Order: sequence, then C-alpha cells, then structure tokens
Amino acid sequence: MSHDHGARECRELFARLSEYVDGELPEDLCAGIEGHLDDCPPCRCFLESLRRTVRLVERMPRPRMSEALRAELLEAWRRGR
Amino acid sequence: MTEPDAVDADRKLLERIRAGDPDAFEAFVDRWGDRILGFGLRVCGEREDARDVAQETLIQAYRGLADLQHPRAMKSWLYRVAANACLMKRRRSKFAPRRELSLDELMPTNPQEAEASVPDVSALPDDELERSELRRTVRDAIAELPDHNRIVLVLRDMEQLSTAETARALDLPESTVKMRLHRARVALRNRLAGIYGPGDHDTEGGP
Repeated sequence: MSHDHGARECRELFARLSEYVDGELPEDLCAGIEGHLDDCPPCRCFLESLRRTVRLVERMPRPRMSEALRAELLEAWRRGR
Repeated sequence: MTEPDAVDADRKLLERIRAGDPDAFEAFVDRWGDRILGFGLRVCGEREDARDVAQETLIQAYRGLADLQHPRAMKSWLYRVAANACLMKRRRSKFAPRRELSLDELMPTNPQEAEASVPDVSALPDDELERSELRRTVRDAIAELPDHNRIVLVLRDMEQLSTAETARALDLPESTVKMRLHRARVALRNRLAGIYGPGDHDTEGGP
C-alpha cells in the first residue's frame, strides 16, 4: 500500500462510490477507481460493505395492502365518483 | 417485471382509464397499491400515516392520470404525489439526528472501521430474511436517517427508480439526488458495520 487510508485519493474515491456502484461514472473514472482499489484494502473492503448494504436495502420485504384497506380504498373511490 | 414490461403494463392501464373502463381503478390499485403503501410506510414511519398516504395518493393520482402524456412518466408522477402526501404528514422523527454529518465526517478513516463488514444476504432466501433480526435492524437504521436522505434511498434502492426518475419525483437536480443517496447509503453502512462488523457475516440473521 503506497499511502495511508484516509489520504486525499481515498477521499476523492469515497465521494464517488455510490455512482461507481450504480454504473453512473464514465469509463476513465472507473479505471482510476479500480487502480486505487487494487492498491488500498480499506477502500476495497469499504466498497464491498457498501455493495452489501445496497443489496440488503433492495431485499427488504415490501408490505402488502390488507384486504380491509383495499376494500376501504375501493369504497372511498366509489363514494367520491 | 422488466422495465419494458412495466411500461407496457402502465400503457395498457392508461388506455383503460382513458376509455372510461369502470374496473380500471381496481386494476390501478392492484398494480400500484402495495408499492405506494410501502413507500408511505418507509417514508412516514407510521402505519396510520402510510394508510392515509396510500389512500390520498391513489385516488388523487388516478384522477389526473388520463391527462398524462406518456406511460413512462407514470411512475415518477405517482411518487411525486405520494412524496407530497408524506410531506403533509411530516412530524419530526424521534430518531432524526440533530445535525447531519458531512460526507467527510461519514468517511471511516481508520482502516479497521473501513474494513468492518456488513452481512451478505445474496444467498439468503426471502422468507428467512423476512423473519430475521437483521431485517428489523435495517428497518430501524433506515428510520434513523435524515428525512431528505431517507426518501431518496427509498425511491432509488427500494422502489428502484432511476436517478432521473427520482429527480423528477422530488423536483431536485440529479446531482442532489446522487449526493443524498450516497450519504444515506454510507450512514446506513456505518450503522450496520458498527453492529455486525468487524469480521465476516455471510448470510447470518442476527448480530
């Protein structure tokens, strides 16, 4: 590792990591980030934990509308027409 | 449902609404009801508020749908109505932080903190995740995020809106959406890493 974690280059990378995860960065910036990640285990681990966090949020179960609320909603719609 | 299939489903729905189909409202509720209810619950935090938001949004949005130019615009527009309904309900969350941390403050500079891990749920079946303590921990950690960051996280990572769709729904520049999403994800990651890290926690449910 040629720098201490927390250096300017780590901070610059840190600010763009969500865009990197979402594939929203141009190729040249991605190449720069990947070069840094090869060289910086803490940034690499942080990125993996960020990806896992996104996966966790994506997998959170969605509540379902109860039959009672659905019936109430359809009734409110009929009344309001 | 893939994005083209979803747009196609919304296009068919719009055609039924424009044609005055009496059953179209029910079809609209079946297609969007769970999503809008879930959005309301995650943004407002209270079940009672989420019910009101779902009811107001679905009825109010439906009335304006016939005028919508393109089915592709339906998603952003529905969440825009829902976000406004949530704003009307807004009460200060008991978890809301007094002061928002800057991105610099959110960055773990200590290598140990940066390397602390978060559970990997890639291989965890849905029903196990649903029953797990981890689900409750994530739900509570999301509730602790500042409101304006949480709503972006909910739209992007839970409701799967694109950056552009989220920007339209919240009437924000895309750069602001990206910044708020990143802050929300990092704050959440730090909270989970603080509970579950250090060490690896592949697919486990509890701390």
